Amino acid sequence: MTESQTSAPFLSIDRLSKNYGDLKAIDNISLDLPRGEFLTLLGPSGSGKTTLLMALAGFVTPSSGEIRLEGRNLVSLPPEKRDLGVVFQGYALFPHMTVTENVAFPLEVRGMSRAEIGKRVATALETVQLSALGERRPSQLSGGQQQRVALARALVFSPPVILLDEPLSALDRQLRADLQEELKTLHRKLGSTFINVTHDQDEALSMSTLIAVINNGRVAQCGTPAQIYESPESTFVAHFVGRSNVIDAQVLGTESDGRIRFTAGGHAIFGRPAIEQDAGAEVALSIRPEKLEVSKTSRDGANSILGTVSGCGYHGNSLQISVETSAGAIRVEAQAWRLGFTPAPGDAVYVTFPDDVPVMLRRDD
Amino acid sequence: MEVAATSRLSRTLILACGWIGLLFLLAPLLVTFPVSVTTQRYLSMPDDGISFQHYAKLLTDVRWSQSIVTSLIIAGLTTLCATVLGTLCAIGLWRLNSRFTHYLRIMILAPLIVPPIVNALAFYRSWIDLKWLDSIGGVVVAHTIVCLPLVLITVSTSLSGFDRRIEQAARSLGASPLTVLRRIVVPNALPGIFSGAAFSFVTSWDEVVVVLFITSRQVTTLPVVIWTSLTERVDPAVAAISVVMIVATLAAVLVRLASSRS
Repeated sequence: MTESQTSAPFLSIDRLSKNYGDLKAIDNISLDLPRGEFLTLLGPSGSGKTTLLMALAGFVTPSSGEIRLEGRNLVSLPPEKRDLGVVFQGYALFPHMTVTENVAFPLEVRGMSRAEIGKRVATALETVQLSALGERRPSQLSGGQQQRVALARALVFSPPVILLDEPLSALDRQLRADLQEELKTLHRKLGSTFINVTHDQDEALSMSTLIAVINNGRVAQCGTPAQIYESPESTFVAHFVGRSNVIDAQVLGTESDGRIRFTAGGHAIFGRPAIEQDAGAEVALSIRPEKLEVSKTSRDGANSILGTVSGCGYHGNSLQISVETSAGAIRVEAQAWRLGFTPAPGDAVYVTFPDDVPVMLRRDD
Repeated sequence: MEVAATSRLSRTLILACGWIGLLFLLAPLLVTFPVSVTTQRYLSMPDDGISFQHYAKLLTDVRWSQSIVTSLIIAGLTTLCATVLGTLCAIGLWRLNSRFTHYLRIMILAPLIVPPIVNALAFYRSWIDLKWLDSIGGVVVAHTIVCLPLVLITVSTSLSGFDRRIEQAARSLGASPLTVLRRIVVPNALPGIFSGAAFSFVTSWDEVVVVLFITSRQVTTLPVVIWTSLTERVDPAVAAISVVMIVATLAAVLVRLASSRS
């Protein structure tokens, strides 16, 4: 038995709320996090994800609820007593100090000896590969380097949790991809718990061990990246993560082999069971665009919906095809080289997919 | 070649115009130099020889030396009070940064907007009740109120580009609010604090309107002595003190330039 299994959850957010007048920025959120996870709070802007992170850091006082870290309640503690590393959006480096002085700051205010500070700063700078730039000022560094200094400063005092507020949003695409990898490696190496905030679903899916999708101040769904992507529970999650097709359907009944039969716009669709629903119930189905095929002729043994092409966009690695059907508009992400023909607006096509593609959703928008 | 020659000519012309304009502005100041070494006992050019008696008078005549000391004390204390209060005020307003602080800022800037004579009258009337008339403390308080907006403006300008998240970062790293103030906020506001202090010192040093209202016999500042010397006696010592102040200002500017060069 490991230590974490015998005691209460490592980090526990318990019925946390924050109201600004009538606006509920955080609406009764409860979330338990085991030690060592990389949790990403994923949501659109204004969803309350940053407010939640700032409540953890101590810069937002919750209206009600508790935050417990290893059993102690954080809510009544000021930010400087919480011992959490925070990487702020825009990095918030101290402009009047060198890189070394920036990283040494948290150790100095803890009254550590000069020798110990020197040793730890050197290690931290080495961890983020900045040993050569210790004497520079933040203004003399590139965005990626500043980001690394902010990271070194947040981890140099070995906090149990590191909070990251959109750490990669200011960087260009290539650098962002590199730093995603570095953050992942760093997380594995340090073994500490990371909590990251982002609106970028690629970042969330590729870096995290856990994702909490936040919408309107609530947790819409929490799970591993694969769970979130493959088994969205609500229309919001299905659409926000991976821009899935969401179509209206009605439950017809359960087949003898366990599959569920739906009808959507007059088409029969077979799908896998997720939520218990009685026959006749109105539901929504998520159908991932990249799991669909378009063809000019109908195919057997699979779900097949006839429609008309309304648009086709070239994206290099894929073709984005919009198909109007009686079940609604369906977006298909097809690989051009496998398609065999170029769809043109007005073409009649079949949208085909296996019966493990449709996922039944809870309606929430 | 032709083009280069004409552009050089126009450049020279513009420079000449600039220097002539500068001379026009500074020439009246230069007059104080000969006047300060006159042998006469009234404002005049030194026709029959040079004398430094008026400089000596600044030190030997109690009326002058005492007023210089008084002015230095008042300007020093005012600078200290206005800089400390103005800096704290600017940092506080920067931290709160709401609509309420916007109105508060306008109120604090009021002494700068209201004509000095109105200020002076207000101080005079209030100081009667407070029994602060004709005291160094009373003048320091009045000058601090007049100078505080200057510090508020300069420090606020320094902080205007300073990200609130830098302060939050320092807190999250374990620094108490006082440590953050001392090690993060104040160092970044230093340019504003220094220029605010300089403005305060100069403003208090040559402030005459308010002082004329709220002092009489006990407290006499240098500007008041200059004022009365000019109106009553046309004393060349006024020219001597002017020369001293001009030289001191030049020295300060040169030191500033040299230090910023290096």
